[in-house]
Amino acid sequence: MQQSLRGEGIGLRKVVVYRETVITEGGQQPARRTLQASVAAVLRNPWVGTPPTHELSDEVTRIAPALALLLTDRLQSALGGVDAVEAFGKAAIVGCGGEIEHGAALIHTPYFGNVMREYLDGTSILCFADARAEAGDPLVIPLWHKTHAATRSHYQTVSTRVSDAPRPDELVIVAAGSSGPRPHPRIGDRTTDPAVTIKSLESVLS
Amino acid sequence: MKLRKIVTIVEEIRTEGDREVNPPARVAVVAAVIENPWAGQGFVKDLTPGIDATASDLGALLAPLVLDALEEPAEAYGKAAIVGLDGEIEHGSGLIHTLKFGDHFRKAANATTLLPAVEKRGPAGIIFDIPLKHITDATIRSHHQTVEARIADAPHAGEIVIALAAASQGRPQQRLAPLSSEK
Repeated sequence: MQQSLRGEGIGLRKVVVYRETVITEGGQQPARRTLQASVAAVLRNPWVGTPPTHELSDEVTRIAPALALLLTDRLQSALGGVDAVEAFGKAAIVGCGGEIEHGAALIHTPYFGNVMREYLDGTSILCFADARAEAGDPLVIPLWHKTHAATRSHYQTVSTRVSDAPRPDELVIVAAGSSGPRPHPRIGDRTTDPAVTIKSLESVLS
Repeated sequence: MKLRKIVTIVEEIRTEGDREVNPPARVAVVAAVIENPWAGQGFVKDLTPGIDATASDLGALLAPLVLDALEEPAEAYGKAAIVGLDGEIEHGSGLIHTLKFGDHFRKAANATTLLPAVEKRGPAGIIFDIPLKHITDATIRSHHQTVEARIADAPHAGEIVIALAAASQGRPQQRLAPLSSEK
């Protein structure tokens, strides 16, 4: 596990941690001061040059768990510990020499998702973003609550960007999270919503 | 000082030129997004009162944060002022080009040299490069480097982003001849 936390043997070039704290929003302090963070790992795409028929599972089982452990440990550290993490999400940016499927392979299997979820004491499915892009393109990552995905106050996003990655033969894999809700959440929740149907909205839609 | 947001970015470089960097090279940036102290006042001739009210507090806020984020002693450092579109670059320069701002960082990092800087104006999400130089000898070539930063929603037109950057070492795989060898 220590080896995994150091990210050895997975072609890692760089790790970039981004964290932000909102002090005021709309001129007022939030009821709770929340941290948002993303942790991005830049690694060699192990499948560059392979055809779309190439079986991906060998590298997935070798690389994805180590990557998930490295990123998730950095993420909880950036947000103040596992218990502080309330919302989470994940992302992949594929360099232009690879397939989107290569990024999907590293984030959309239990070898990544289950490790991240278990490490963070979560139960929700992980929401995600992916893109194929040039180095330096930003990507917005969606987050939602780690145990109650429908908790509306925790729907939020965090932006990630690595200035010089991904190169065409690289992948950027990201774990992201938040220690709380949006700064001033006030749009209700499923428990407070009236029953809204097209018929009930006739007066608004007419 | 009206503070909206604090942003921390830490880069850890494990390989460069396909060779291991050991120990990994770390570079940290901490930025404060503040309301431009002169927003909405038209052309203010004397910036001194606004500088006196803001610059020292900013330096005291950011210096310990960037050193904490680096988690290692700083060997190189730099600073930035990114002014939102309604402000003057002079506003950002006023806040960072004063000993009241920089001395907090110099003292905390046991540094002696002037901080290299970037000052520019732009929209929210603008990418800016912060130059860094060695903290006690600005002629040490191995430590000349830059780090990029971007905050998706800052600066707003009436805001300024003020940032400090610190690096744990020179460039990864630095191997240029020193300045003295060309004299």
